[in-house]
Amino acid sequence: MIRRIGTLGVLSLVLPLASGGCGDEAGGSGEVQSATAVALLTSGPVSDAGWHAGAYEGLQRIGDSLGLRVSHQQTRTPADFDEAFLSYAEAGYGLIFGHGFEYQDAAERAAKQYPDATFVVSSGARYSDNVVPLIFHLNEAAYLAGIAAGSITRAEVLGMVGGVEIPPVRGTFLAFRAGVEVVRPGATVLETFTGSWDDVSAAKEAAAAQLRRGADVLIHNVDAASFGVFQAVREARAAGRGAWAFGMNRDQNDVAPDVIVGSAVIDVPAVFLQVARQWRSGTLAGPLHSGLESGTVDFVPNPLLPGIVPAAAEARIASARQEIADGRLQVPEIRYLEDEEAGDGGSSGGRGRAQPSG
Amino acid sequence: MTVRWGAALRPAGQAAAALVATLAVAAALLAIGGHSPVEAFSALVRGAFGSWNRFASFTLVQATPLLLTGLAVAIAFKAGVWNIGAEGQLYAGALAGVAVAVSFPGAAGASGLWLLPVALLAAAAAGALWAAVPAAMKTRLGVGEVITTLLMNFVALFLAQYLVQGPLQEARGVFNQTDEIPAAAALPSLLPGSRLHAGFLLGVVLAGAAWLYMTRTPGGFRMRAVGASTRAAEASGRFAAQPVTWLAFLVSGALAGLAGWVQVAGVTGRMYEGLSPGWGYTAIAVALLARLNPAAVVPAAVVFGALSAGGGAMQRDAGVPEAWVRGTEALLILAVLAVDRGLEAARRRRG
Repeated sequence: MIRRIGTLGVLSLVLPLASGGCGDEAGGSGEVQSATAVALLTSGPVSDAGWHAGAYEGLQRIGDSLGLRVSHQQTRTPADFDEAFLSYAEAGYGLIFGHGFEYQDAAERAAKQYPDATFVVSSGARYSDNVVPLIFHLNEAAYLAGIAAGSITRAEVLGMVGGVEIPPVRGTFLAFRAGVEVVRPGATVLETFTGSWDDVSAAKEAAAAQLRRGADVLIHNVDAASFGVFQAVREARAAGRGAWAFGMNRDQNDVAPDVIVGSAVIDVPAVFLQVARQWRSGTLAGPLHSGLESGTVDFVPNPLLPGIVPAAAEARIASARQEIADGRLQVPEIRYLEDEEAGDGGSSGGRGRAQPSG
Repeated sequence: MTVRWGAALRPAGQAAAALVATLAVAAALLAIGGHSPVEAFSALVRGAFGSWNRFASFTLVQATPLLLTGLAVAIAFKAGVWNIGAEGQLYAGALAGVAVAVSFPGAAGASGLWLLPVALLAAAAAGALWAAVPAAMKTRLGVGEVITTLLMNFVALFLAQYLVQGPLQEARGVFNQTDEIPAAAALPSLLPGSRLHAGFLLGVVLAGAAWLYMTRTPGGFRMRAVGASTRAAEASGRFAAQPVTWLAFLVSGALAGLAGWVQVAGVTGRMYEGLSPGWGYTAIAVALLARLNPAAVVPAAVVFGALSAGGGAMQRDAGVPEAWVRGTEALLILAVLAVDRGLEAARRRRG
């Protein structure tokens, strides 16, 4: 025991020494003005070229455009969520994003303790005075991607590779399937969930299995593991097969420009910037919806692969986009905001949004 | 006198040199990554030890699952049972505890006092059960436990994945998580105003009990004897090794199972599939740092908890990305091990 305490003593003595004894000066991170500091938590790496990367870009844009101090932490477990929220709030960060439904509980706990700070939860389920959920209607863009995918499949077999089976992901797949059916009513749409957001080889295996089962167009919703899906499609093409992929969450067209026909995109940076502006002007109130109507969700074709999607399908996509934005066309979705999904077990087809996007 | 002091100081000097060298490497790597080492290290220290509340709420809370799983591994290893399965046993315990807790959503107040102890027992039993499979395979069939305990981890992870989107999913049926546990099942706070929960105290008490058992009782002696050499222990003819091995498996599994439920009951309030970032594996490093001494697992777990809490602060306050934080943490663990061994060498030479 005494030896152990000795080791601990050495550690705690030497670390401050190694830090040059100027922690206060170097810190600058003690108290910051609450109206000038914004923080972001992600549960995955911001190098995923997808869900987390979009959020990180949003944080950077807030810093650049509004001149605010920004900070980011990648959390590992639910235990880290509380620690990160409380630390940021304690340090005076006034606007704190938790980018994923998993942050809901911890955000609510921290919000009670720090009523002056605002906590924003992407895909959040509940809201209060200082807890604001962001609802991304990515399913609307996935529906348009489905029309494009249906128009280019020759095999009439398509595939969807998902990470963890959560409502926002199921919603995009439901809508993609509906989009495919608009142009190819009899097509088969395969669905696989790997159970992981970052297992690239599992995603590649799942994609390869779908390709072996005859699929020639794949879409994904697996975050960082999407590289595996694109690689599987690339290898199928190298082997002489016609196969295409679609990107998701962020504009991934430049991630694999040779195989991606287009991406279903959430313009997270624009949404985050909008949130920060509203927060500064004191008008931020939840929930905040983003869809085709607000222009922060869209299907973006790959400019490097023109002409892949037939002109007739492009026209169809354009008219569907307009109809959805106008509220004339209801895209299937999975609702997860608590007061919106009452009574339907969380899943519903063809219902309008309770609240239009701000 | 002077000569003796010099001889005693040399290994200590070597230990200090190892620490300084490792810190220099970590600092150099941070600098290469474009991060100020001074800022990064001071953020780490402030994050872990900046205030009493920070130490209790962050460092000790992060240390708690490592304390319990570290104990599990230390006891098993000491008895010669290479339990690599603390991670799976942790998940089994968390699932069992949650299953009990959410079955009684109305439990509250004085009439609900039984719920927490029952959930704790269920967690310990589930962890022990998870360890019993490799135990049976080892004692009956002679299958090495390194592979079986490891494989049982994957079974537990997939079981957790299935249960939180199946039978144990929240009543709303939306997200992959269980319902929130009732208040009666939650571990009470240890210090008002902090996040420190009674799970840490439980870990410290169990560490003390395990230390007493291992060093002061015949049962503990038998465990250590079997761990030192199963054959020699058997050849002594005084006792059979198998029951000792079984006991080590079961106790180890029970402790790891408690770690899982304690995390849910003390921190998260719900079960998620990604509950643990690999505590069951980090526990091996904790146990080795404590040299398999149950009492020493407490400070060893606190060191790792401090690194975890400080690592978060490195990201927040110094802008160091997660990957660099993890690398720095690993280097610091190496430094601590080097210093520890250096001081041990010094002690031996003196003695």
